[in-house]
Amino acid sequence: MRLGRILAMAWENMKQRKLRTSLTTLGVVIGITAIIGLASLGEGFRLEVRERMQQGFELDNLTVIPGTLFAGLSRDRFTDYDIQNISKIEGVKVATQVMQIGNVTLHNKRNNKRVQAFVATAVNFTEFAKVFPDRLVFENGTLPEPGRNDTIVIGYKVNYPTENDTTPFAVANDTITLTLGVFIQEPYPHPELRNYNFTVAGTLQKTGTPGITNFDYWIFIPLETVRKIYDTLESDLIFVKVYNPEESERIADDIEGLFPPFKVTILVPLTFIRQVDGILTIVQLFLMAVASISLLVAGIGIMNIMTVSVMERTREIGILKAIGAKSRTVLSMFLAEALLIGTMGGLIGLLTGYGLSFGLAYVLSSFMQPQHQRSIGFQTPESPQRITITPVFSPEWTIVAFAFAIIVCVIFGLYPARKAAKLNPVEALRYE
Amino acid sequence: MGRVLVPALRGLSFTVEEGELLTIFGPSGSGKSTLLHLIGCLDRPDEGEILIDGANVLELSDDKLAELRLTKIGFVFQFFNLLPRLTALRNVELPLTIAGVSEKEASERAEEMLRLVGLEARMNHRPSELSGGEQQRVAIARALVNNPKIVLADEPTGNLDTKTGWEIVQLMRKLNQEKSQTFVVVTHDPQIAETAHRIIHLKDGLIEGIKEAPRRNKQ
Repeated sequence: MRLGRILAMAWENMKQRKLRTSLTTLGVVIGITAIIGLASLGEGFRLEVRERMQQGFELDNLTVIPGTLFAGLSRDRFTDYDIQNISKIEGVKVATQVMQIGNVTLHNKRNNKRVQAFVATAVNFTEFAKVFPDRLVFENGTLPEPGRNDTIVIGYKVNYPTENDTTPFAVANDTITLTLGVFIQEPYPHPELRNYNFTVAGTLQKTGTPGITNFDYWIFIPLETVRKIYDTLESDLIFVKVYNPEESERIADDIEGLFPPFKVTILVPLTFIRQVDGILTIVQLFLMAVASISLLVAGIGIMNIMTVSVMERTREIGILKAIGAKSRTVLSMFLAEALLIGTMGGLIGLLTGYGLSFGLAYVLSSFMQPQHQRSIGFQTPESPQRITITPVFSPEWTIVAFAFAIIVCVIFGLYPARKAAKLNPVEALRYE
Repeated sequence: MGRVLVPALRGLSFTVEEGELLTIFGPSGSGKSTLLHLIGCLDRPDEGEILIDGANVLELSDDKLAELRLTKIGFVFQFFNLLPRLTALRNVELPLTIAGVSEKEASERAEEMLRLVGLEARMNHRPSELSGGEQQRVAIARALVNNPKIVLADEPTGNLDTKTGWEIVQLMRKLNQEKSQTFVVVTHDPQIAETAHRIIHLKDGLIEGIKEAPRRNKQ
């Protein structure tokens, strides 16, 4: 018997039982809708998270921190020697070291304002600007000229400490007195606050990056000057910029190899993003596995309906066999119905699934509008724009889900179809 | 008490000639239908052999038997056994469809067959819209559409009134003569049995006698 005729007859049969067919198909539709909806929405969510993380963590920047979580007590600090060695590693564009001093008070003599900076970072401005070219965006003034040791750069939140500040704390060329806590050895070891005068070279725009380094809360002072004040050549952090982010994990291994075991921790954004990405993928797969259960339930529905249908049509099957239909023909007639249900349910499910994901994305996105954030915390991440989840149309998932629908339907249709094919024609003809 | 197996047929042997119109006559329970099912390759006997064109059909696989039923055998049943959802035309097309004949050719041949049984005006009616006699005509058309060598009819008049039943018998006789196909008709009606070339009397699964019919007219 020709395949086209088998399908046509199956379709005729299904049309005769519209309600039953639609309800059976509905099960498949719901299953595929759930799978596609979650896949598309989940993928969109995953991409959104990844994009946001990529914005936050510059992928080509590695941060080297002394010590590890396990050996945190025996912290060594970095030296120029470490910087030289790291710079030699293949793929490293530039490495720069910084010293960090906590809680610095700034006083502007021009307007007699005082502000607090949570982090004062001593940097080599030339190198530092190479590592963070996109982040040092000036609202006023410029980067200090090379070789000048008495100029500073002020971050946005230091310059405008509260939301209500409309005039900045300082502008370029203002003279600022910095009060630093210094440890004095003579005549006996004790901490002491000392004042140093600097000129403002520039003030930064708001960058508001939700990463580990939010420059908004930082002020930058020349490294050479701080080294003299504290009489040390050691530093607290090393920032490394690499040429190719894909190499960052290999470079991190190389950097680690320069130090004794457990002496440094290297933050590799790529690894972090990969891990988060991996977790989101697992969550997504888990959700889809749950959604797949609904498709299995639909499959059982098909099996149930078709078994009933085989019983109802026993006599018809007997007639078909009596006039010469092979078992295989009867089998394919019933499988054709399962196939059609799977195809229809799959196609409709794909449409409703993508429809649902776009609808849900719209609703979820409107829930996730940025809320007013009070800037109380240290390096509070900012969310400058609202989160928008755009569902992703994935050809792979579309094909997989569609194939899954058909496979489930055919597998669950196989049992009743075989039952029909195996009927003894004489007994089937006698069936009332 | 277990089940008691009662053999429907208990040893019988006969030959049907090509082009013959044979009736198998006997009371209900005599094994007529079982015998017809065996001839029609719908069932397999516990013992014995069935030869069609000299070949033992019991050696064939189920699929081969189905093919044999499709190409060489046509069935007519007491309860017509038409597919209720299909029109008369579609019912007649069915064996051709199963055989893989193209849709166009199938409907042409089915139409021709329905014309032959006098139903050209009712082709697009469903069985529920046809009278018993008309339904049986459709069934006969379906049995003959594949041009089989053997037509098997199981109580073809059993569900019809006498007049209609007689018309069906006349139709079968006409087709038997025109197409020289072999007809084996099972009946419990002695009058209908008498219309055949030969009558086999069946009782309790055994042949009681074979009778040359008085109306027999050999060519």
